[in-house]
Order: sequence, then C-alpha cells, then structure tokens
Amino acid sequence: MTATLPGPGTRTTARPRTRHDRQFDRIRAREEAGTFKAPVQGRFFSKFRSNKLAMIGLVVFSVIVLASICAPLLTTHDPQQINLRAMLQPPSADHWFGTDRTGRDVFARVLYGGQVSILVGLGSALMATIIGVLIGIYTAYVGGWVDALAMRISEILMAFPQIILVLMLVAILGQSLSNLVLIFTLTGWGGIYRMARARMLSLREEDYVQALRAFGLAPALIAYKHILPNALGPIMVNTTLSTAAFILQEAGLSFLGLGVPLSTPTWGNILNVAQDLRVLENNWWLWLPVGIVISLFVLSVNLIGDGLRDATDPSQQG
Amino acid sequence: MLTYIIRRLLTLIPMALVISFLVYGGLELTPGDAVSHMIPPEMAGTLPPERLDALRDSLGLNDPFIVRYGIWLSGLLQGNFGYSLTAGVPIRQIVLDRLPATLEMAAAALVFSTLFGLILGTISALTRGTTADHTLTVVGMIGVSIPEFFFGLVAILVFALNLGWLPVGGRMLPGYETFFDRLPHLVMPALVLSIMMTAGVMRYTRSSMLDALSKEFVKTARSKGMPEWRVNLLHGLRVALTPVIVLISFRLPILIGGSVIIEEVFQWPGIGSEFIAAVRSQDYPLVMMIALLSVIAVLLASLIVDILTALIDPRVRLGE
Amino acid sequence: MKKLLATTAGLLMSTAVVGTATAQAVNDNQLSDPRVRQAIAYALDMETIVDTIFEGNAILANGLQPHGPNKPDGLNYYKYDPDKARALLAEAGWDESRELDVVYYYADQITADFMAAMQAYLADVGVQMNYRLLEGDVGAQLTVMPDDPVEGPSGLSWDIAYGARAALAPHEYFNRFAYGQMPMIPNVPEMNDLVAKANGTADVAVQREAFHEMERIVNENVYILPLYYQQLFIFQSDRIDRNGNPYGNEQYNYNWGITEWTVEPNEDGERVAYTNTGPQQFFELPWRNLGIWITSKAVFDTVLLADGALTPIGGELADSYEMSDDGLTLTVTMRDDALWHDGDPVTAEDVAWSIQAAAINPTTQPTVSASFRAIKGAEAYVAGEADEISGISVDDNVLTLEFETVAPNILLSLTQFHPLPRKYFDGVDPIQLQQSDFWQKPVGSGPFMIDEVRMNDFMTLVPFEDYHGGVAKIEQIIVTPSGDGDGNLVRNAAAGRADFGYTKNTADVPALEEMENITVVPIDFPYTRMFWINQFVRK
Repeated sequence: MTATLPGPGTRTTARPRTRHDRQFDRIRAREEAGTFKAPVQGRFFSKFRSNKLAMIGLVVFSVIVLASICAPLLTTHDPQQINLRAMLQPPSADHWFGTDRTGRDVFARVLYGGQVSILVGLGSALMATIIGVLIGIYTAYVGGWVDALAMRISEILMAFPQIILVLMLVAILGQSLSNLVLIFTLTGWGGIYRMARARMLSLREEDYVQALRAFGLAPALIAYKHILPNALGPIMVNTTLSTAAFILQEAGLSFLGLGVPLSTPTWGNILNVAQDLRVLENNWWLWLPVGIVISLFVLSVNLIGDGLRDATDPSQQG
Repeated sequence: MLTYIIRRLLTLIPMALVISFLVYGGLELTPGDAVSHMIPPEMAGTLPPERLDALRDSLGLNDPFIVRYGIWLSGLLQGNFGYSLTAGVPIRQIVLDRLPATLEMAAAALVFSTLFGLILGTISALTRGTTADHTLTVVGMIGVSIPEFFFGLVAILVFALNLGWLPVGGRMLPGYETFFDRLPHLVMPALVLSIMMTAGVMRYTRSSMLDALSKEFVKTARSKGMPEWRVNLLHGLRVALTPVIVLISFRLPILIGGSVIIEEVFQWPGIGSEFIAAVRSQDYPLVMMIALLSVIAVLLASLIVDILTALIDPRVRLGE
Repeated sequence: MKKLLATTAGLLMSTAVVGTATAQAVNDNQLSDPRVRQAIAYALDMETIVDTIFEGNAILANGLQPHGPNKPDGLNYYKYDPDKARALLAEAGWDESRELDVVYYYADQITADFMAAMQAYLADVGVQMNYRLLEGDVGAQLTVMPDDPVEGPSGLSWDIAYGARAALAPHEYFNRFAYGQMPMIPNVPEMNDLVAKANGTADVAVQREAFHEMERIVNENVYILPLYYQQLFIFQSDRIDRNGNPYGNEQYNYNWGITEWTVEPNEDGERVAYTNTGPQQFFELPWRNLGIWITSKAVFDTVLLADGALTPIGGELADSYEMSDDGLTLTVTMRDDALWHDGDPVTAEDVAWSIQAAAINPTTQPTVSASFRAIKGAEAYVAGEADEISGISVDDNVLTLEFETVAPNILLSLTQFHPLPRKYFDGVDPIQLQQSDFWQKPVGSGPFMIDEVRMNDFMTLVPFEDYHGGVAKIEQIIVTPSGDGDGNLVRNAAAGRADFGYTKNTADVPALEEMENITVVPIDFPYTRMFWINQFVRK
C-alpha cells in the first residue's frame, strides 16, 4: 500500500508552496514517524474521575476482578473438591459462603466461577467490539458492495430478537465455553459495527480527514489512526454495556440449562441451584451471595459505562 | 410517504427469504430430527432404528434439504404456515393460541414500565442534581443489573410462597372468564419483566425532559409567568414524550423476545416458552415460523419508528 | 447381610482371576477393556452418593433388572474400592491423559450434583472426565449405530452416557444385545443366543434361565454399569381418599380404582382434584408412553386389567379372554356395555383396527409392538405386502388373534393397550396417527372424559356418566400441563394445585415430604439408572 503512495512533495511541486503546505508536511512527517497523537484527553479523565458513581463502579469492578484472578491466594479450597458427608453446611469460618449440595466450598466456586463469567462477558464484548469496529470502519471507508454486504449481514443478525438467535445457535453449535463466546460475539458485533460505521461516515466528511485524504494518506491509515480515536468514546461505552449484557445473558442461559456446561463453575451455573424451590427456601447461602456478586459486578460495569458516556459525550447533561 | 413505505416493505421480502433459508439450514445442522425426538430417551434404546425410518419417510424428512425447504416455502407463499411436526396441528393455530398470552404480558409490562419510567424520569429531571435524582439513577441501574430470572424466583419465594399474595405461576384456571380473574396471575411476571425496561424509559424521559426544559419556548412560557408545574408538565413533558414513544415502540419486539425467560420462570404459556420447546424438539416448521414472525415484528417496528420519527420531526426526510 | 458380603467377596476373587486371565481390550478404545470398566465401577462410592445426594431415595443396583426372581444371586455390587480401581487401571495401562466425555440428559439439579461427584471420584483414581447436558434431540444422540456392529467405528459422540432403562417386560433390558442392535457395545456373540432364547418362549422358567445368564455376563464384564434402581413416588394430598384402592406402577395402567376415589370439597363445595401431566401442545397417542399421562390412565380404558405389579387380572374393555394351550390363539370377548364418550359402543372392530394400527405405527411401545407383530400376517402388513393383518378376526363381539410365534407378553401388552375409536381416523395413514386433529381433544372410553382444553394452560376432566364401571365420585379433575418429569411439581403442590400424581424426580421427594398436607408413597418399579459405556473406537 505504502509503496504506491506518491513521494513527499510530489503533489505540491505543481504550484507554489504555501504556509499550509509546510504545516501539512510537518503533520505528515510526524504521522509517518508515528509520533502524531490525538491530544491526550485530559478532560475525559478528569471528568470521569469526578463522577463518584463511576469511581465506585471502578473500585467494585477492580475488587471483583482481582479477587477472581487471585482466587488461589484467597482460598485454599478447591472449587471442584466434593465432600458428600459435609454437604449443605451454612457459612462458617472455614467455608465463608457455606457448602453446596456436594460439599464443595461455595466461596471458592464464586471466585473461580468469576474467572469464567468475566472471561465470557469481557471476552465476548471485546471480540464483538474488535470485529465490529474493524468491519465497520473499513467497510464504511471503502463503501460500495463491501459496505452494502456488511450492512445486510448486520441487518439480518439484528433483525432477530437476540435471545431467539442465541437459542437457535446454542441448539446448532452445542454447549461449550468457546461456543458461548462465539455466539455472543456473533450476535453482539452488529451494534458496534453500525456505530463505528456511522461514526466513520460522518468523520469521513470532516475537513481534517478530507485534508489527509487530499494529502494521499492510505485510507486504512486514516481510518484506524485518525477516525478510530475519535470514535473510541462511544465504542468504549458500548463495550462496557455489552459486557454487562453478556454476563446477564450467560446467567439467563444457565437458567434455561443452555449456558456453559455445568462442569465448569460460572456465576450463572452456581446461581442455577435457586431453581430448586427447597434450596431457594432453605439454603440461602447457595444463591444469595452469588446473586449479589453478579448483580454488583453488572452494576459496577454499568456505572463505569455510564461514567464513560458522560465523560466522552459533551452534549450529555450530567 | 406511501411509496416509501411500500418500498421499505418490499425490501423486507428478500431479507425474510434469506433469514428463513439461514434458519432452515441452521436447524439442519443440529443432531436428530422431529421423529427421534418423539421417542423418549428411555425408549430410544429399545426401538429398532429401521422402524423410525418409516415415520421419517411419511413425514417427508428423508427428502433432500432443498426439496423440503422448497415445499415449506411454496406452502408459505400460498398462505399456509405449515404444520407442527410433533403436534400435527396447523402452526397458525399454535401461534394464535400462544400469542395472546405473550402479548398480554408484554403489554402489561409495557404499561407498567412506561408509567413508572415516565413518573420517575420526570421526578428525576425536575430534581436534577439532588439526592433524589442520584438515588433514582442508582436504583434504575440496580434494576437492570439483577438477572431477571433471579428476580422472578425471589419474587415467587416472597410473594407467592412466603406471603401467599399471588399465585406461583400459570395464566389461568377453569372458570376464569374475565381479564380481572387472570389479573393476579399477570401481576408478578409483568412487573418482573417491566423492571428492565423501566430503567431505560426513566433515563430517556429524564434526558429528553432536561432537553425540552432548556428550549426557548419553555423559557418563554416561564417568562410569561406560567406556574412552574404547568411549564413542566404541559411543555416539558409533552415535548419529552415524543422520543420516549419512539423508544417504547422500538422496544416492543425485543420485549416479546425478552419474555422467553420470564415465561419459563412463571410457567406462562406464551410464544417464548413454545419457542424453547420447539427448538428442543427440532420442530423445524414451528421454529421457523416463530423466528420468522419475530423477525418480521422487529422489522415492522423499526419501519414504524422511522415513520413516527419523520412525522414528529419534519427535518427527517424519508426515502433517502 | 453377612452372607451377602461373603458371596460378594467370593465372586470378587473369581472375577479377579477371570480378569487377569482373559480380560483385555477388544479394540483401540481402552473402554473396551473390561478391567477399565470394572475400575470405573469400583471408583464410584454409590453407597455414599445414594445416601447423600439422593437422600436415600434410591436403591443400589447390581444388575440391569430390579431385584426379583429374574436376577441370579451373587452379582457383584462393585462396592467402593479406590485401591482396586487404581490397580485395575494400572494393569490395563490406562492412559491418564485421556479425558472422558460424559453426557446426561436430565436437567435436574440432582443429576448435575451426581455428575460433579462422579468427576471427583474418577479424578481420585486417575481418570479425567468432563460432563455435559445433551441438548436438542437426545434420543438420536444416544442411539446412532456404529458402522459395523463388531468393528465400529462408533457413530456416537460421547464416552459414557448417564441414562435409564424403564421396562414393561424384562426382555426390554436385553433385547438390544441382539446382533446389530447395540449402539455402544461391540457385539457379544454369547448374548445374541440368549436374547433369542428369552424371546422364543412363553415358558417363564426358560426365559428366566436366559435372564440369569445375561445378567451374569453383563455384571462380570460391566458392558453396562447399572447404578441404582429408581423408585417411583406417588404423592397424594390429604384431600384425596383412595378408599382402599391399591398403589402401583404409575408409569403404566393398573387397577387404581379412580372411580371410587373421593376428594374433600373445596371452599365452594366443589369436589375438585388437581393433578399434572396435562397436554402442552397436543394429546399424545397413548400407545407410546402407555401410562404416564393422566389421559392414558383416566380417559382411555385398556383391553385387559392389571394389578399394581402389572400382572393381568381380568378384563377392562374385555369381558373375558382365553388363551389356547399352545399359546398361539387368543380369544377376547368384549363387554357389551362399554361406550365411547360420544355415546357409541366400543366394538371388537375398534379393537381390531387399533391393534393393526399399533403394529405398524413406529412409536408404539416396543413390548406392545413386538406382541402385535407376532400375530400371523403382521410382518406382511407392516412390510406393505398385505392390506390387513390376516391373523386378526372379528366375530360380533369376539376378537380372535392368531399368532405366528409365541408372544410372551401379549396379555401384559393388552393390559396396557388403549383402543381408539376407529371412525375418527377414516383416511388417516396409521403411521401418521399422531398427526391427526383427533389429538386436540380425544374421545376416550374411560371413567373420565375431557371437558375443557386450554392447551398449555389447563385441561379439565369430568366423570363419564355412562361408564361401564360406575360413575366416578370426583366431580372434576383439573390438570396442569407437564411432561413426564414436572419441573413445577413442587411449586404447584405448595400452592395446592397437585392433589395426586407421581414423580420420578428424587429431588422433589424431600420437598413434598416436608409439606404437611402431602403424603408420599414410594413404589419399586422396573426403572434402572445406568452408565452406557461407548466401547467402540470413536471416529
């Protein structure tokens, strides 16, 4: 791509150089040296930091993520170790959240389950974002039939009520952790794709992009280096909100028995026991703590997303 | 305007075709078929496999994929929704049987969430920046952060089992002639379903209300000495309502899809639980029709949203 | 108990000797090595599992059939012995890096717990496994046949499946060992002959010999690993009084005497009872699952009547019956006062047509189907070579069945067989009987008739005034929709919407027992939970 670019100055030799030409040359030089950066969004950070709820969300989020990652340090119990003669024990000093119906330590399961649930939620959201952004920005820039095709595909996917599509895909692909991430990615990229595409379309027409184009910069370079950073705000908001949605969906699918196979502890799978009326009535420690953890985590992600939205969107009124 | 609507409707047709083909092809990839599903697993091991082939033949399941799809499609074009493989009943009848239950719950949830959302959103906008506003925002956030089935189960535990105020589930019993007989059954599922939406409506109402209140004519009305509550209600809320209405109509099909889990929790005999059963029993024609109908509902709703937006805001031009 | 332990120990030693002498894998799949399968059996502490996870509501299994005269003494229980399991695995050279793919199809919590326990027990002896719930079409995923019944490779996608076998006749436990019928086990030649032996005679003693021998072979080689015998739990609220009528195998039809039951009037003075197993989409053809739906038991009468252990004790729609001494001719005389719910009489013609249709309908319960296909000319009819079954003849109210070969379970089959009113099926292909409008609101012949149907909401049954056995005393039965396992049973019972019925879900039992107004009666019935072990090489 770069090889076909006209060399520096080839286009400007035809007419007298102006002050603007020199200015653009400087920009271009910096661009090619990779030192050009959009101004660091200081306003963004200070605005985010001043949002108390978002900061609380960030703290809760970090605590839960860290606790899940450091699970082996926080508990000595193996989440899969059964002890049938010690089943359904209420919380104690040894078992903080009690034991489940096979005598496994619920606290350990919530910690280790968090690893998987967060992986599914965050992983799917990131994958969906990356795919959606790449396709959206590229197709919008290229236009033509590629753009039309991508748009049709996303329209088809988004025409389904999401749960209907997910259920059908689970029936077709079968249940597994990787399939679930795949399904969430497949059903989740459309929204981000459209946003990225719309952003791209409007930015494409902006003066500075037109100028860069006139300068003969490679479309891909312009797309990813100049347009992407400008669209980053809403995309980040969308990613966080998708994370929350996917974690809730994982729990919902577990409820229908269609989520991650039960052999892997996830928050959804642990919470699933609440379907048993006797557990619901008698063994609160099996469902209440994990229910609270899921809700807290999703809440924290939503709060962060909200904070990001406020911080990136100047028109949004606090 | 009319040509625009017709053109939009026409573009739906190829899309529906592609979708129907994809769904049909996808289901083809799942193991088994409606026949082997009719045999309970306990019995499957005792039945000689060749006997099932006879039934497959008679139901046309042994035809090549394209042939079956073609037959199904040509039937559809003649207005024939087809028959459920497992039940042998016209799918139209199944859909007509189940749809009222789902619509009833969705409508009730819509009413609840709109009502609560509008009231809370208005309060939130009018008390902007105060503790009340922040509290409402946080409560709304908490509402959307709790898994809905979990909410449903806890509601059953508290209101049905511990307090005994409401029935545990189901939609009706013999002798329930009127809507009001069924009301107690409807309350809990509809409320739980509406929680997710309430927060959205509330947030939308709040921001569009704030938007409206900062408009010139509101300031004018205020400067003319109109009492504050009248300004707020007559001008602010009225203007704020339009985007909210759009939001609500846009959510309707999503609501229908979203009721799947709630229908399972409350044994609600609607289209969502029927869909799960159909997916599990590989009842192709039924899965197809429900998926297709839900897709059409979504597409129509987005068309309506576009038209509504155009009607409300003359700056938006249709047909571009 | 001491004696039992002694015999068990004796047998243990003998199998160990046999094991070292002949046991080895028959193909590249190590699960085809009996020592590996025995090791899996020893690794599971079923006694503790039954005690804790199943809360005692199950009976340890040592054979495919439940306890009774059809099972030989001295079968090995493979009592928990992890050291022995490790030794057997070492001897067989078990590949510890292999992860077994275990599947199950019960979505209840207890099964999930059992799977978790199994995973831990196997890990303890060095066998890795993972488990998953089969989704979609379960039957198809369990029964794909191998390319070749001896060599494989397997058409199945799993290593071990947790399943169950419910049987009407003991033959059903073994018939799949016939050549070319077994999806997961390379053909065992000695079993082929024994299956033929058990099916070729009506002589119970000879059948029993074959059953004993087959149980021993399966037990020694762990071709299938039986885990526990399920009980069936009949529940009943204190509003219901059976007035001395018996409890029995509720999966099937027996003399439960529902016409004599009474129910305490509710606050409105109505004698209404609630039960489950109502239709969700349509009424199922009652020849498939014989007795699990309330409609099968209360709306349709059977030809003959059985007691709670399913022994034939007389006629229901039939007045009398007589079997010839050679066991090849059965004469059934119908009652003349039996009516369909539309008022027309139940005729011998109806029964003859129903038997013919059931013989060809693929979903008919296997024991019933096998009995009808033994009738002269049935095979030709099924093959499409004849328009009707020649061995069925009707003379006024007498139905005569002539058999080609002895049908060991024909009387049992008739106690479970519900004739249908022929006139509603004019022009319907008997193969597609289920796909008929009739099943939106069937017309039966039993003590209750269907009154109102709200598919998937409820259905009501009311007494049939002209029932030949007297008018039922319960004025209305309200039936909630559910499958064989009712996921909402406990919730409905807590809300007073389950007055009688049964459950096979052991998880429901303690919850039902905790309710003051509910009584639970456990019943032993032929239903064995087992592991099917895929012994073919997988593709």
